[in-house]
Amino acid sequence: MATRREFLKTASLVALAPTVPVFLQRAARAAEPGPDDRILVVVQLDGGNDGINTLIPLRDEGYALHRKQLRVPEERVLKLTGDVGLHPSMRAAADLFESGRLAIVQGVGYPNPSRSHDVSMAIWHTARFDREEHKSYGWIGRALDEPAVESRGAGNSVFVANQAMPMALIGRRSAGSSLTRLDGLMVRNEAPRTPLLDAGAGGDLAAFVQRTALDAYATAEVLAEIARQPAAEEAYPSSELGNQLKLVSQLIKAPLPARVYYAAQGGYDTHAVQLPVHARLLRELSDAMAAFLNDLRRAQLGQRVVVMCFSEFGRRVAENASVGTDHGTAGPVLVAGAPVRAGLHGSTPSLTDLIDGDVKTPLDFRQVYATLLEDWLGLPSEAALGGRFEKLGIL
Amino acid sequence: MGKAREQPVSQWDRYQPDDDSPWNLRRVVHLHRRAGFAATWAELARDLKDGPEAAIERLLDGKACDSPVGNEFEAIAGLLGDAVVASDNPPRLKAWWLYRMLFSPDPLAERLALMWHNHFATSNRKVQSVALMREQNDVFRRLGRGRFGELVIAVVKHPAMLVWLDADSNRKEHPNENLARELMELFTLGVGNYTENDVKEAARALTGWTVRSGEFREVPEYHDLLPKTILGQTGDFAGDDLLRMLLGHAATSGRLARRICELLMGDGVAGDEALDELGAGLREHDLNVGWAIETVLRSNAFFSEANIGSRVQGPMEFMVGAARALELFDPPPSTLLLAEWGATLGQDLFHPPTVFGWTGGRGWINTRSVIARTNFAGALADGSLSNPSHPPDLPALARRRGAASDPDGLLGFFAKLLFGVEDAGELSQTVGTALAESNEVTLDSAGRLVAALLGSSRAQLA
Repeated sequence: MATRREFLKTASLVALAPTVPVFLQRAARAAEPGPDDRILVVVQLDGGNDGINTLIPLRDEGYALHRKQLRVPEERVLKLTGDVGLHPSMRAAADLFESGRLAIVQGVGYPNPSRSHDVSMAIWHTARFDREEHKSYGWIGRALDEPAVESRGAGNSVFVANQAMPMALIGRRSAGSSLTRLDGLMVRNEAPRTPLLDAGAGGDLAAFVQRTALDAYATAEVLAEIARQPAAEEAYPSSELGNQLKLVSQLIKAPLPARVYYAAQGGYDTHAVQLPVHARLLRELSDAMAAFLNDLRRAQLGQRVVVMCFSEFGRRVAENASVGTDHGTAGPVLVAGAPVRAGLHGSTPSLTDLIDGDVKTPLDFRQVYATLLEDWLGLPSEAALGGRFEKLGIL
Repeated sequence: MGKAREQPVSQWDRYQPDDDSPWNLRRVVHLHRRAGFAATWAELARDLKDGPEAAIERLLDGKACDSPVGNEFEAIAGLLGDAVVASDNPPRLKAWWLYRMLFSPDPLAERLALMWHNHFATSNRKVQSVALMREQNDVFRRLGRGRFGELVIAVVKHPAMLVWLDADSNRKEHPNENLARELMELFTLGVGNYTENDVKEAARALTGWTVRSGEFREVPEYHDLLPKTILGQTGDFAGDDLLRMLLGHAATSGRLARRICELLMGDGVAGDEALDELGAGLREHDLNVGWAIETVLRSNAFFSEANIGSRVQGPMEFMVGAARALELFDPPPSTLLLAEWGATLGQDLFHPPTVFGWTGGRGWINTRSVIARTNFAGALADGSLSNPSHPPDLPALARRRGAASDPDGLLGFFAKLLFGVEDAGELSQTVGTALAESNEVTLDSAGRLVAALLGSSRAQLA
């Protein structure tokens, strides 16, 4: 991969630059990643993922009892332990688990669960239960509002899916920026690359503009170089999520200074004929996530990135009459990447000991958030989550 | 508009051209780039000839630009706006505003509307109503250069703001502090001039404000009648009392002075003393925004060397100014595309990123926006923003204005038009590569020249 430094060795721009560009100053710092270099990638699974057929129980008689049409045969389940295994289309995720890069937090939800997509997603986005607060600020936005977060010109969080900005990223001061295509960071072929060198305009402000422009052209050059590399491209599945995570990887390599990237995969609202749809979704998720983490590992960025996949709720334990499932409550949250403490966390929800046909919710999603904010991003979590939550040993 | 000629203040002494700061093309360009959306060659020549008095008078009176649609502008823009509201289509609302910026004879009104959109940053992300957002936008235009008090009252009692800041959920049983906080921190006093307890108490004063059938209503049953203590005063205050207290506070005039200097003055050019003077003047003039605008525009400080080229152009000023200076009126660039480019450059109209609005200043310049500005300059100059795509005849524009049709003549003309630079020699390095290939001027090479000029750091500053 072409680094900026390599690019700059040959770039004539450097010789002409009026001042030292920002990224060179950054490169001059210690090579080891500090807390500010840590990146969280959130993958939102829209529609309510069927957690029971994602992390499948092997020794729970409730599974066969409630899932007649939708049961995955035990011999096809990718066994992680004697008790549970992954859906057969999640081979890539099982490999991550084997290689110590996947933590699965079981039974994550919240008390008095809402079965409305909107309400439940708003709760996950804002970490607040009062409907009045669902239009205000999100958990990541609030966390990045903290004075500790140094202001970064390009925005602290980047949303890469082609839909409305999730509330999770909106803070009072910090705002996510949306970027769905690399084109936004590519200089048009015919555009002149030297116009920043305007000797006539003086002063500190002009120097700032020129420095930023030099930095931007260098970033664009590196991104163009990254985009030309076919190897990385082949490794990603050609799904929408694959494209999103490929873009995130390119931006991290550039590097953009964002702390949080946010992707989304839709289609999990499987009320009817769930099996083929769900199998495809989980394959896309698992393949894209593995491609992303392997790509970053090759680029020696694996230690800097953690991925968290969540859905607004799980699905009911019992299947419905349309060979699908209706809205449920808790589900597994996947936390992946080299820095995680791989393995199963929390206890597997029982499929016989139910509340109104739903699994119980042993873990609060805000515990996952608190862990990611404090132990990974190094940010305080109390104001972001509206309280203190016991952290989990996932990092 | 009231004239403020009787009491000139020392920091804002009236500008009189002299040998050190002559009324020249550079200052005419400066005036239009700062207070409007740049100017056509004809407008520059007119103002250069008529002098600063008349040039500024025209800006203040809303007659600075020769609108290509003439006197029909307001009628056309009104019809367009109504059609947009009927369509309920947010992208078209953004396009409507860009139409106004491009074609209005009164660019200062649009610049002020942009300032107020930023000051009262309200996003359609939550309001979810093209009609309400347009109404709010029209309030900015109608009251934007009058008394600040009238503007604040009209904006905070408008449904767009009440929805945006959750007024309806602010009831005596469970106050919601959102409106009270932003009213104090962002719209009037500014941080440091009130306590958290003032916010709580102000929220109680505002209980009862809500929206019914799309209109502001004060519902007595929701209002908290118990006494409140706000900013050291105690009484059974209601929302209007709170507004009166905030508008009468010295911090509000100071904040207003700062806003106006952010609009018209360069980065750090107006010091504390100048801001204090302007704030004091605003208090004396009942927070009359028009008075302050006139005071600044007519001042020595405004035309001082330090104030020229020392402010980062926002995305709208950058885009619309370029299109106007190049007279891209027939066909104009697609206003829908301009709105999309605005978002790419960092200013998605009607969608400010947070309640703080856009950071502005240096915040406009970052990796993404610099690349976007460069790409925009290229797209504007090669005509791919107009529909159908149509390269503008830039050499013909230069010829019509008496410039020689060789590369040097072209560079000289566009340097004067865009930057007011008389000696293009200092720019030749900038655009060296754009024209070096041949001595022949083509549509293509002229486009590249202009794109290079618009991509330069000088073009990002005004």
